[in-house]
Amino acid sequence: MGKILRADLSAGTLKVERTSEDVAKKYLGGKGYAVYLLYQYLKEYESKGIPPAEIDPLGLENVLIFATGPGTGVPGFPASGRYHVMALRSPLTGSIGSANSGGEWGPFLKFSGFDIVIIEGASDKPVYIAIVDGEAELRDASALWGKNVFDTARILKKKVGGKNTSVACIGPAGENMAYMACIMNDEHRAAGRTGLGAVMGSKKLKAIVVSGSEKVPVAEPDKFKEISKRCLDAMRKNAVTGEGLPTYGTAILINIINTAGGLPYKNWQTGVNPNAEKISGETLAETYLMGRRACWGCTIGCGRVTSVKSGPFQILASEGPEYESVWALGSSTAVKDLDAVVKANHYCDELGLDPISMGSTIAAAMELNERGYIPKEDLQGLDLKFGNAAALVESVWRTAYKAGFGKYLALGSKRLCEIYGHPELSMSVKGLEMPAYDPRAIKGIGLNYATANRGGCHVTGYTVSPEILGIPEKIDPIKPEGKAKWVKIFQDFTCVVNSTVNCLFTTFALSIKDYAELLSAVTGWNLTEDDILKIGERIYNLERVIINKYGFDGKDDTLPKRLIEEEMPEGPAKGQVVELEEMKEEYYKLRGWINGKPSPEKLKELDIEL
Amino acid sequence: MGMTLAEVSAKIMLFATLRKKYGVKDLTVKCDGTLFDLIEKASKILGEHFFDDVYDKNQGKVRENIIFMINGRNIKDLEGKIKIKNNDVIAIFPPIAGG
Repeated sequence: MGKILRADLSAGTLKVERTSEDVAKKYLGGKGYAVYLLYQYLKEYESKGIPPAEIDPLGLENVLIFATGPGTGVPGFPASGRYHVMALRSPLTGSIGSANSGGEWGPFLKFSGFDIVIIEGASDKPVYIAIVDGEAELRDASALWGKNVFDTARILKKKVGGKNTSVACIGPAGENMAYMACIMNDEHRAAGRTGLGAVMGSKKLKAIVVSGSEKVPVAEPDKFKEISKRCLDAMRKNAVTGEGLPTYGTAILINIINTAGGLPYKNWQTGVNPNAEKISGETLAETYLMGRRACWGCTIGCGRVTSVKSGPFQILASEGPEYESVWALGSSTAVKDLDAVVKANHYCDELGLDPISMGSTIAAAMELNERGYIPKEDLQGLDLKFGNAAALVESVWRTAYKAGFGKYLALGSKRLCEIYGHPELSMSVKGLEMPAYDPRAIKGIGLNYATANRGGCHVTGYTVSPEILGIPEKIDPIKPEGKAKWVKIFQDFTCVVNSTVNCLFTTFALSIKDYAELLSAVTGWNLTEDDILKIGERIYNLERVIINKYGFDGKDDTLPKRLIEEEMPEGPAKGQVVELEEMKEEYYKLRGWINGKPSPEKLKELDIEL
Repeated sequence: MGMTLAEVSAKIMLFATLRKKYGVKDLTVKCDGTLFDLIEKASKILGEHFFDDVYDKNQGKVRENIIFMINGRNIKDLEGKIKIKNNDVIAIFPPIAGG
């Protein structure tokens, strides 16, 4: 089995522990293993008289876990260059913290000799952790505090040296504890959502550097080789993973989602952006694209290397923006100048901010301002109007440094809109800004946003795949009927992917059966499709038990009023609202939940020990 | 004389690799209102490969993996016989995805 590094930053100690095979058999690895560990912390806190709902996300009790899984870093395991990060609580939402990232850091953590890193407590002064060839060390990071993501990565990579070296770190946004700060690795890759960069900042942990050449074990190498070959072939031959994503990256979705009337525009006032073409994946490819950058071991290579050749937003070289970033920074804000969107995205990477929450919070501020709800003295001249490219770019760096109006933006859209007396204008669920699909046009994703444990998130259960893209089969996006079962199976299966840990994009080409076979060969356990779906369901339910302890239940499984009450004003989904209650009732029934809480029978069925 | 269908004019928009391959963002096509005729008339303009790229002759329908939308609605989600009306906007996407 693998190794866990447990760092207590308050005490300044590092301990090495073994992973448990029993836990891995029930929760796999990655996200699942982290959820299990987080639950053990909550139980311990409760026994000490600390109620979960009183844990301060930026306080000493919060715990941060970086986790890989049995597939991560295995040569030939499809797109397995990822890791998952979790925290007991997110500063942005108060719910569980959860994010996932690609690049090289995940596999290189394994090559350094560890599977999981747990961060407890907080340091008095800035520190970083170096893990090299099985040895871990806590080092002073005073000289790095204040440095941006690119400089931090460059300096630490050189300092630590060695083979397969990668840096996961925070930028100024994390240091300053902006609530949508993310953890960045390999310069442009982000564990983006739920503000985990702020948690790292609160612990004064600047970075974790990993390096090494340890081989990742495979239980049945011959069997694995055969299954791997078949799966990789399928991915290369698949029109999406073999051609669409490599050619255009994720931003290719802008035009199709807009055509379907589901591309939120002007803080979700409508789902049709008249300037979508200007910020589309096609335009990005024609005008900005310099090349591709794939994550470790990936045959898809959806990452974009881009530049802005001239003008006020010029950049020599950047990466992205992804579909979500283009949408949040460019469509929700109505900024049609793709130069500015690329620049704003670049600043998010450089300073360590989640572009989805950042763009959405700026869009919410724009609507608040246009409706006259923000006093002029708070804005200090920042002209937050829809479509203002300069204000967009300025807002990003102001947020990272909490400078001027940035101190309000850094709180996220929920608190921002509450401060200015209009909470209904925050387009968030459980405090997490929703991503780039309007559920009035794509109903299933609305049910998923409402019921996602970490809040308004698309990759918890990406039903856009069947609803719009027709994968694995086409279902009608504007009908609410039958969506609950899709949401449940996508949420459960995604838990498996995030616990493997590899890339969700493999699921455009690979089936649940392929995963069962890949995981069986790597672990040596005989896992069926039902087995892995049960593991996924177990993870989702234990995660739900955790957020129930913070006070989240059925009342929080909801959507902004705009999506439930205001009819879509135009486009193919004109007149539509989300029939949430109807879908939710069916979903709870399928899940075996009562008012958003797993029933005792369901927990027993899933063999979850409380 | 048999019955003739009224001629309609529709706008076809191409995306992603289809746009790249045919070098055209959009085009206006006059057809008899059937999908078959629309695609055939478009391939008169774009070249005969277009027909095969989009339409499966053996199956007698639009290719399974092509995303074919009329006024923002996927034809797979439309009930009854497909009829193109005057000024309809047809969006054609090759297999794409993201997230």
